[in-house]
Amino acid sequence: MARLHVEAWAPEYGPAVEPVDDLAPQEGTVEIGVEGRPWEPVAGSDDGVPLVAFVDGVRRIDARLVLDDPGKGPIPGLCGSYAVGAVVWDRERRRSEVVGAEVHRLAVLAGGHKAEIPPAGPALSWSTAAVQDGDPGSLLRHFQERMRHSEGVLARDLGDGGHFVVADGPFHQPSPSETIGYVKTHHVDYLANGHGEIIGRLRPGERTPLFTIKGWERYSWYLRLAEVPGGHSWSGVVRCEAAAANPVEDVVVLADRSAAILPTVASESHLDPRAPQNLIPIAALERDLRHRLGDAGLVLRHLRAAVMRMEAA
Amino acid sequence: MSVGHVIGSQHTSTRDFRVVLGEAEYLQLDDLVVVRTDVPGRGHVDTYGIVTEVEALYEGASFESDTVRIAAEGSMPGGKVRSAQVSVTRVDPEVWVAPDPGGEVQRATGDARRKALYADEMERPLPVGLGRDGEPVFVDLDFFDGRKGGHMSISGISGVATKTSFALFWLRMLTGRPDVTGDAGHNLRVLVFNVKGEDLLWLDKPNRYFTAEHAGAWRGLGVEPGPFPSVSLWAPPRARSGDVAVPDIGGRQDVDVFAWTPREFVDEGLLRFLFTDASDLRTQVSFVAERVEAQLRRYAVDVAGRAGAIVLRDPVEGHRPGDLVTPNPGERVVTDLATLVDAVEEFIDPPDGEPDVKWTGRVQAGTVSAFMRRVHAAVGRLGHLIRAGDSRRIDRSRAEVTVVGIQSLHDLGQRFVVGALLAEAFREKERSGQRLPLSVVVLDELNKYAPREGQSPIKDMLIDIAQRGRSLGVLLVGAQQTASRVAPEVLENAALRVAGRLDAAEAERSEYGWMLPSTRARARLLKPGTMVVSQPSIPVPLVVDFPFPPWATRKEEVAEGGDPFDGL
Repeated sequence: MARLHVEAWAPEYGPAVEPVDDLAPQEGTVEIGVEGRPWEPVAGSDDGVPLVAFVDGVRRIDARLVLDDPGKGPIPGLCGSYAVGAVVWDRERRRSEVVGAEVHRLAVLAGGHKAEIPPAGPALSWSTAAVQDGDPGSLLRHFQERMRHSEGVLARDLGDGGHFVVADGPFHQPSPSETIGYVKTHHVDYLANGHGEIIGRLRPGERTPLFTIKGWERYSWYLRLAEVPGGHSWSGVVRCEAAAANPVEDVVVLADRSAAILPTVASESHLDPRAPQNLIPIAALERDLRHRLGDAGLVLRHLRAAVMRMEAA
Repeated sequence: MSVGHVIGSQHTSTRDFRVVLGEAEYLQLDDLVVVRTDVPGRGHVDTYGIVTEVEALYEGASFESDTVRIAAEGSMPGGKVRSAQVSVTRVDPEVWVAPDPGGEVQRATGDARRKALYADEMERPLPVGLGRDGEPVFVDLDFFDGRKGGHMSISGISGVATKTSFALFWLRMLTGRPDVTGDAGHNLRVLVFNVKGEDLLWLDKPNRYFTAEHAGAWRGLGVEPGPFPSVSLWAPPRARSGDVAVPDIGGRQDVDVFAWTPREFVDEGLLRFLFTDASDLRTQVSFVAERVEAQLRRYAVDVAGRAGAIVLRDPVEGHRPGDLVTPNPGERVVTDLATLVDAVEEFIDPPDGEPDVKWTGRVQAGTVSAFMRRVHAAVGRLGHLIRAGDSRRIDRSRAEVTVVGIQSLHDLGQRFVVGALLAEAFREKERSGQRLPLSVVVLDELNKYAPREGQSPIKDMLIDIAQRGRSLGVLLVGAQQTASRVAPEVLENAALRVAGRLDAAEAERSEYGWMLPSTRARARLLKPGTMVVSQPSIPVPLVVDFPFPPWATRKEEVAEGGDPFDGL
């Protein structure tokens, strides 16, 4: 009979898989004329949008699981927690608060197996999932996808509720909304084909005109948050995305707004090593969400106890 | 009414805990709270406490500049958290456990408040002021009137600490609440020395600045506001005023004059109170003084026709106590201090001939000169307090409160009067052996009369009162600017300790060890009318306000009306 084990070594000691879904666009697929204006820096403009929501999530692997199946050998799995939430910045009242914060706990097993884990106490219960292949990396990917999904749900809710939503990370929403994706890192240079020199000319609060990439359902633009002392031409620059389902004139408003507003909440390097890209509300949100995940040691201890009780029964 | 919850992110203890406050609630310093804890196997335990500090913070702010982002720009989420530190005053029943984290903290009102302040255990709870909540705060009278303890010590900076005002307020409570004081207040005799200004000479006059609001506070304490009903005022005679005894006082003349006759001076052994300088006891001078005092008692004979006057005659001549003699021609009649000193000088330092060994003992001639130097100096400084004639002794039975104005006297004269009166009061009680009726002495500048260093007859007597007065019913209300300069024996025997505003350096001294660190920090900021009170039955000092006095403390404050000739 198959027995479930909680692995005794530190859970973070596994493969670090940072899922990358950016792929370099092919030559000639980038369209820079969608906005119908010259390829020159554009100054942002703040239209006074009253409510800005920053959506983000954090995750933590709490334990590695092994299902000891006498027939199929050890089957890998993992147990983790993730939290998503948003900071809503009421610009008229000058207040920010964390809203919609939710903590989820998930146990994933490879090879199509599912393991029920009994609740280990108040606010400690795991939902279960299975991935078909046996690759440890896909366990983590599944986990990441679930988190992105929850973020998407929250972003849509807030967007429907009249917020200008800034979602952390690449953007996956197909329907039109006042939501932009906020990408901090540049794995790929989308403007490699000769249009990239504009980046060096962006000043804080300015953006590039919109561009699209063939086959992608979204608009993109770069904007500069801040001049980083001693930085290169790309430092202090982030990329934003908006759904292609929006009319282009609406996206122009979003882009102008982002170029004006986001630099005001950029962090500074003496406060945050990820400055300026890690926006202050997002950093605060991550801190808050991480806190809500609870104490890692305590969660692991309860998980072990729960699994042992289950196996003993 | 719940105000918040016991904080669980740090340890609670049986000494203190912290409370996170609810959105719509607040606690301020000195507020009383109670929290109920379920103890397995023992049931409910109520922990009572007093707020010693209140704090607030933005949770989520990790850098100081985050404050601006949270409060002004609003670009960062952050929660305002307000909390209070509570010092435990009582656990009821006595199961000494720490309150549970998360426990619901209630404001202690009504019965809970009485329990937090142990008022339910006091047999005779006497209000000692009003708490921050406007309700009376009590002291256990057993710890003042000698049953379980006695005496009160009041410390604080001159001018702002309102030591004297508090002492008088306390006297008014003692005399104004017979329902609480019972036999302790019956026939109470209070002796008050006015050492500075003429602040205490208006106790029987209403204060024109007294308002209805002040009156409300007094009624809250259970005393109908008004000046002291029974006061007698005494002042020394003006020096060089001849045979007419005019009180040496500026503000009012309806004051009795006190003085001692040479006969009283000799009988009561007041000579030693001329040697009250702390340096006097280190020399042989005091030895001479004792000797002279004893001889005076043997030699003094009353003079017929001159009340209080004496002549000095050798006892071998065979006179008996109570004899009246007519002075021989040329014989020196002692009618004041100057003639007494001259008469004594004939025995111990005659200008022609040898000193009488019976008077001097075998001391060095230099010591005798030192003695004479001091008594000669005393003649100038307090000679007018000794005069023959009808007795002008202070009659403490005339009124409940006897105020003796010694502010006009030289330092030496002040010490003489204080010494003489303390000795009289103490001797009276020693003779009767009865604790009741109580005799209360209010003495400011205790550091002058019972200094930490040195020896003097007054210091000895004050220590004696501090140590034995409790059982004899002589209670000292002593005030001083700095407790660290007062003899420790006197301080240690005071069961009730009170402090007004303290000098910052003074507040750190061990004499104020009875205060909590937070109270010490606050003692520098106390405003006039606010005092810290410590009593043996409550483990933490309490901060109280006492109301504005209904009696005048200056001539300008005396309310118009009443007798228009008052004060003339």
